[in-house]
Amino acid sequence: MKNRLKVERAILDITQEELAKKIGVSRQTINSIEKNRYVPSTVLALKLAKLFGKSVNDIFTLEDED
Amino acid sequence: MTLKSILEYDKKSLERLKRFQLPNYSKKIGGLIALICFISMFVNAFYFDNEALRAISKFGILLGFLVVSISKEKIEDEFIIQLRMQSYTFAFIAAVLMAFIQPFINYAVDFAINGEQVFKENGDFVILWMLLFVQVFYFEMLKRTQG
Repeated sequence: MKNRLKVERAILDITQEELAKKIGVSRQTINSIEKNRYVPSTVLALKLAKLFGKSVNDIFTLEDED
Repeated sequence: MTLKSILEYDKKSLERLKRFQLPNYSKKIGGLIALICFISMFVNAFYFDNEALRAISKFGILLGFLVVSISKEKIEDEFIIQLRMQSYTFAFIAAVLMAFIQPFINYAVDFAINGEQVFKENGDFVILWMLLFVQVFYFEMLKRTQG
């Protein structure tokens, strides 16, 4: 699964640490999601989407192998 | 008390037990207990050879690692929970494999060094130490490499 987390974060001009604080997770969690090492839960994906003002589908996209 | 209320109480207790973790600061306390007991075990082995101190040190190391293992991280989020579960799975498999393999290694080493043909199985403590040691260190490694 691909994601646009890094791009969306850059648009808001916030660091991983700041984003992590806003949604109540650790910086490592944000880093792992950005590097596609961790697929977040539905709750976390919805929280991220809400924060960026977009739908979950705009941030997370399924790939062929998913 | 009806059967339904007993089941409900059991369900609630199980949920509480599932989520039970010690606060983050206990990680340092556990580490300190394990370290002190580890040092005392070595000192005892070389200088005192006291049976009671040896037993206390063994229990202390186990207790210290257990406290570290069940202590929360500063931010205990879903990613950390996943890493924790991975580390418990890995530790369980590693401990079972070690319990199988270690006696054969001990046998081979004893035979090579002393020429003895004695087959000694691992004690409960060794297996539990191994399980907790692997879990704690694999979890720390996962945090550093995955995070």
